[in-house]
Amino acid sequence: MGVALAVMDINQSEVAVVDRATESAAQKKARFERDALQYTNQLYAAAMRYTKNPQDAQDLVQDTYAKAFVAFHQFEPGTNLKAWLYRILTTTFINTYRKDQRRPQISDGELEDWQIYDAASHTSDQGRSAEDVALDGIVDVDVKAALAAMPEDFRMAVYLADVEGFSYKEIADIVGVPSGTVMSRLHRGRKLLRSSLAEYAKDRGFNRGSDA
Amino acid sequence: MHNSAHLPCDQILQTLVLFIDHELPSEQEYQSYMTHFQECADCNEEMLHESTAVAFLKELLQMNCNEQAPQELHDRILQQTEELAGQSQVQFFSSSTTITNFTFDGTTSIQVTQEFTQEIRHDFNEEQ
Repeated sequence: MGVALAVMDINQSEVAVVDRATESAAQKKARFERDALQYTNQLYAAAMRYTKNPQDAQDLVQDTYAKAFVAFHQFEPGTNLKAWLYRILTTTFINTYRKDQRRPQISDGELEDWQIYDAASHTSDQGRSAEDVALDGIVDVDVKAALAAMPEDFRMAVYLADVEGFSYKEIADIVGVPSGTVMSRLHRGRKLLRSSLAEYAKDRGFNRGSDA
Repeated sequence: MHNSAHLPCDQILQTLVLFIDHELPSEQEYQSYMTHFQECADCNEEMLHESTAVAFLKELLQMNCNEQAPQELHDRILQQTEELAGQSQVQFFSSSTTITNFTFDGTTSIQVTQEFTQEIRHDFNEEQ
């Protein structure tokens, strides 16, 4: 058994060659512990963005790993495990934790139209908002608070793209919306975040207006 | 404003986010944008400004969103995995249990698992 596992380990590194049909329960567990559990910290940080508190974040990550383990035979080795785990995390959050919150939902219809991009003409230097000048001055403003205050759909899109580096397509799969919606949420989320960060900076007196 | 390289300015600016995020559908399209930026100073400036702002935002977010999971959570997950693995060997799934399939419509719940994770949380807290 020990020898068989060792051989399996070598085979599975990077280019995974796993025969899930013949894999033993112990092998599956070992593969899960080695491949999936390494994302615990990342999933926890994401869960903190989703739930906004450490206790729910811990529970959410634990539930995610329970589901992931039970469904692990469905995961296609060699495909994107991190994205698969994020999908479970996100689905679990939406189905379980969010249900109680009764938060105001942003209508998706409103978001489908990404043509609303408001920079359809060149911005003059003066018109380039004070927001960006202020953004330069941000060092230690509370980024987490600014994120937490954002509508959830925007927050998720920005987090998944700009912290985790997922592509639009991956985010679309994780969140369960079309890519166009991802782009819209991401674009608008970033704008929202930039302007609220600028507000924070201004409030704290970081606005270095004279440098502009 | 002009219409250099086939793409008008307003089209470039409306889809600038795709360029910045490397989400344009083809290399050819990417090249058209590049050509436009070479020939249109205003669009080029807008692109540089937006790219810088997005890069800065990413850096700021990545610096601030990197919590480490508490050790207790790592322990709970390890324990849970042990116990789930133990259960699966004695037919964790009875015929009445729906096997999970992660689809987008939310049909992903495993009641057994939900209760089970709560049990582990409970056990874990008692052990502390």
